[in-house]
Amino acid sequence: MSKSGYELVLCIVNTGFSETVMNAAKEVGARGGTVIHARGTANKEAEEFFHITIQPDKEIVMILVPEQIRDDVLHALYREAGLKSEGQGIAFSMPVTNVVGLSH
Amino acid sequence: MGRVKTKIAAAKERTANKKQKPADKNTVSQNRLELLVTIVNRNKTEYYTDLIQSFDVNMQTVMLGHGTADAKMLALFGLNDSEKSVIFGVIQEDKIPEAVATLEEKFKTIKNGKGIAYTLPLTGVIGTLIFGFLSNNRMVKGEQAK
Repeated sequence: MSKSGYELVLCIVNTGFSETVMNAAKEVGARGGTVIHARGTANKEAEEFFHITIQPDKEIVMILVPEQIRDDVLHALYREAGLKSEGQGIAFSMPVTNVVGLSH
Repeated sequence: MGRVKTKIAAAKERTANKKQKPADKNTVSQNRLELLVTIVNRNKTEYYTDLIQSFDVNMQTVMLGHGTADAKMLALFGLNDSEKSVIFGVIQEDKIPEAVATLEEKFKTIKNGKGIAYTLPLTGVIGTLIFGFLSNNRMVKGEQAK
């Protein structure tokens, strides 16, 4: 619940999967997003113990959505780019108090 | 009935007495901080960082991003460039209305200056010096020695 009526959905995925994320989000009504590059950090010791490697190159997709479709977007991201998929995505939303610049 | 009424009156008086004086501008609760996120075309980064700095935003971080709207959408919004800058800045709550109104006006009037901006509430900051820095509170000069 945020007073502007919008929520910010952030999705952290492996590099190259931002398109998957955007396609999933657009399917349920999101209009556009912004992608920034990032590097993930993992517990080196745990990585060695479990014999897995975590790809450090990440993309963060930021999508502003009306709060009515926020749950749909999060569900879509979980389905299409969740931790069990190749994109290994984590998605969460944050309240937004003021928004300007969106065309209605 | 009369007894109930006197009880209600007494309760009202008690709550009225409890109400505190309004806190001054430098108190934490009256001077909340929010994260101002502004997304603009890359070649307008410097213009917007300067503009945002004029609203007492002492620290800003610029990250390079890419817009994901498809070509049809871009045309619809009057955009033609997908290379973006994402500007993060910490702003005081009472500066937001002015900042947001100015940004909106600039988004509309400046050629190629279209963008979006939004604010996210911060729930915590640690350190008095950092809080003073972020809220441009010049009264705070350093952390007190233990």
